[in-house]
Amino acid sequence: MSNGRLRAITGVLAPSAVLLAVSVFGLLFDTYWQYVFAISISAAVIGSALAMLVGYARCITIATGAMLAIGAYGATIPIVHAGMPFLAAIIVAIILGACAGLVLAVPGVRFRSHNLAMITLVFQAVVIIVLRESKTLTGGAEGMHVPPPVILGFSFARDADFLLLCGAIYALAVLPMAVLLAGAFGKNLRALAFNENAARAFGIDVSQHLIAAFIFSSGLIAFAGAVSAPRFRIIDPDSYGIFTSIFTLAYPIIGGMGSIWGGLAGGGILRVVPELLRPLADYIELIFCALVVATLTFFPDGLASALWRRRRTRHRRIKPDTSLKPASVELAPIAELFAATEALGLAAAGRDGAEPILLTVEGVSKSYGALRAVDDVSLVVSAGALHGLMGPNGAGKTTLFNIVSGFVAADTGKVQMSGALLHDIPLEARIRLGMTRTFQHAAVFERLSCLDNVIIGLGRNSIAQGILRSFGQAYANAGSRSERRAAQAALVAVGLGTRVEDVAGALPLGDQRRLEIARAIVSRPRLMLLDEPVSGVSVEEARRLRELLLAINGQLGIAMVVIEHNIGFLSSLCRRISVMSQGRILAEGDAASIIADPRVRHAYFGEQEAAA
Amino acid sequence: MIVVGGLKFGAIYSLAALGIVVIYKATRIVNFAHGAFVLAGAYATYGIVEALDVGYWPAYLLVPIATGLLAAAVEFGMLRPIRQADMFALITSTIFIGIGLSEVYRLVQNTEMLGVRNPLPGPPIFLGDVIITKEQVWVLVGAIISALIGVVVFGYAPIGRGLRAIAANARGAALCGYSSDGMNAMAWFLGGALAGLAGIFAAPSKGISPELAISMITAGFVAAVIGGIDSLRGALFGGLVLGLAETVAAAYVSSAMKNAVSFLLLFVVLLWRPEGLFPEAKIRDV
Repeated sequence: MSNGRLRAITGVLAPSAVLLAVSVFGLLFDTYWQYVFAISISAAVIGSALAMLVGYARCITIATGAMLAIGAYGATIPIVHAGMPFLAAIIVAIILGACAGLVLAVPGVRFRSHNLAMITLVFQAVVIIVLRESKTLTGGAEGMHVPPPVILGFSFARDADFLLLCGAIYALAVLPMAVLLAGAFGKNLRALAFNENAARAFGIDVSQHLIAAFIFSSGLIAFAGAVSAPRFRIIDPDSYGIFTSIFTLAYPIIGGMGSIWGGLAGGGILRVVPELLRPLADYIELIFCALVVATLTFFPDGLASALWRRRRTRHRRIKPDTSLKPASVELAPIAELFAATEALGLAAAGRDGAEPILLTVEGVSKSYGALRAVDDVSLVVSAGALHGLMGPNGAGKTTLFNIVSGFVAADTGKVQMSGALLHDIPLEARIRLGMTRTFQHAAVFERLSCLDNVIIGLGRNSIAQGILRSFGQAYANAGSRSERRAAQAALVAVGLGTRVEDVAGALPLGDQRRLEIARAIVSRPRLMLLDEPVSGVSVEEARRLRELLLAINGQLGIAMVVIEHNIGFLSSLCRRISVMSQGRILAEGDAASIIADPRVRHAYFGEQEAAA
Repeated sequence: MIVVGGLKFGAIYSLAALGIVVIYKATRIVNFAHGAFVLAGAYATYGIVEALDVGYWPAYLLVPIATGLLAAAVEFGMLRPIRQADMFALITSTIFIGIGLSEVYRLVQNTEMLGVRNPLPGPPIFLGDVIITKEQVWVLVGAIISALIGVVVFGYAPIGRGLRAIAANARGAALCGYSSDGMNAMAWFLGGALAGLAGIFAAPSKGISPELAISMITAGFVAAVIGGIDSLRGALFGGLVLGLAETVAAAYVSSAMKNAVSFLLLFVVLLWRPEGLFPEAKIRDV
């Protein structure tokens, strides 16, 4: 087994192994402690489910108590009233939880910060009231007796047996969660949580991902509710109330938002603190609240990850700082890779000769109220061209980019790429047509490594692909290895070959620009839209970026449309330049003719220049 | 009779919703601690009316000031340090601040439920077959008048202009001489004061317990979303609609239905009209 595969497999198996180990360890203690260990690993599983929803997707949910209740009652009612076997009842609970997650997510994800919090809050309140009122099924407020789980005739009534059962089935249940969080799906969630626009530009459908996250996480929480219910002997609606929801929300926040371990540790530890600190029992909720607010204020990534990172950065400081060395740019590997895919016939239609015209923009207009941001603009970009787009602030350059890349719908006009009309093609699908872009404000996924940033740039990010790829990555299959190779080649191509595993947010601005370029070329686009690729970087860095772009254009044949204010930069990069002003194309031609054009001078320097 | 009872609760919801909307409009924070502010208002009412036994009038004056100061203190002490953080951190903080305040109440006053006397006892009014209590009329009228005062202050007074300026463009407003720190605190004060008023009106009929915080935050949000979370008039209307819908559902369907109604309303509004029934006009004057 290769090293990479071993690491991938141990990585996703580790949470299950820890849960199992803790449950076995618990057997050494008396029955009270076995009970404590059982609720601790239940809470760890809840924490791992919330790591997905709260930690990765940064959704606020206050419905965890309701989900637990749905699981607990959803499994117990069929067991008690219909004599259903325990394992079948647990599956019913998972399905009910997943459905409840869907019901919450569909209206909630549109404005995920507050709407979601609100709708989960109301849902929580309603579920508890309905359980309290449906007395014939649930026993109402007095509660309902839960028989011990019976599997194949064996009754898990003793604390030790129950603890082992929990360890075993939680270890199984947490495995898919670990796979999804460690893999492409989890990375896509983290990407969209911090930079929704960039995520969409690379094919991540935000709503679908959030709905999926809600379904997975709710299913697992309901499962934990169903499995843990027998241990409480009697379940009543109020033990799944809003306080439960809110304190479970604290698990991933205090434990740490960036990995499954934060949720596991947060849940496993916080849930048993009240059991251990009996004298403080009355103040425990208040202490939790203070702890959460303090964590959000001082350690936004979570207490556990703050401690963890402090240890790691101390290690890292020993390494020499390579950031000051001039980046070495090496395009050969990615060019080879592209050539190889072409030989296999996987590349998009040929770029030489067959279609000289790549992009046509015809009479496109866009108004915001009375402001015509883009006014009857037409533009033609041929395959392999380097086309500059300049103009004063507010000229409509970025709006035009947003129309072409699909962020904004034009009021009128046509945009075609290789003869295909783009209007009905959603933003998320445009990357497959061979169009990628960078953003005016460097929009890297700052919490992800450079490598993961570029892998997202491959654009295989539909919800089904994300889930399938996660399972592939869990055993480092051929597909995931070739993705890593392509991403590494792209990083080498832009001179970030030494920073593959570094977190993108830690890079200096110039390197973030390079990372954006790597992410944009790795999918082998035919057209790249670059929005102010050198804004904010030094003159020296701008020169090097220009050389990089020229090399990419020359060796990989990717056409570029480049927005830039810096006319020196633009004229040394682009053979053809269009000048926009007040929403219109003012002039188009080579650099010399643009600089000489009186209308351009007028737009830039105003009336005096025109009069002179 | 049902209608008047529903409108009474509706008017209280309107007040709660209005406070949420005022804070949201000025600072873009959805305040999940709002229910706790209402609870604080109700508890302060209990202190003045029952513990000090000085009648209701001082409460109407002092309680809004007290809860307003509480809200401004929360903003100043706890939210200001993380103002630069994302919405997730801000909203989550308000959730835990709210629960923390409720917990403080529970620790201070460890009883099931406190009652406050009826502000306007006396024989009910008969209109044909319909029986209306004076308390219902008083709460309905009082809450609506308070809400209207809130709308007028935010919509027309000079303070309101500053608040709206901050909301529209914080940096621009700062350049024009509005202190954004001061205005944020002011918005929270105003929102907190409205929550306090909701607390005064809610205390006699709903009783005082941590449950009050949760039921008021839930109802306040639903009302605010129905009206379009950005609209003061919408919040006023949304509260009344919710109050009516709940009471009608309880009377004609079942009491469990009463609470499901709020979720159904929220669900339907978010799915079909996420901008609410009274979206603020977003016309740009150029």
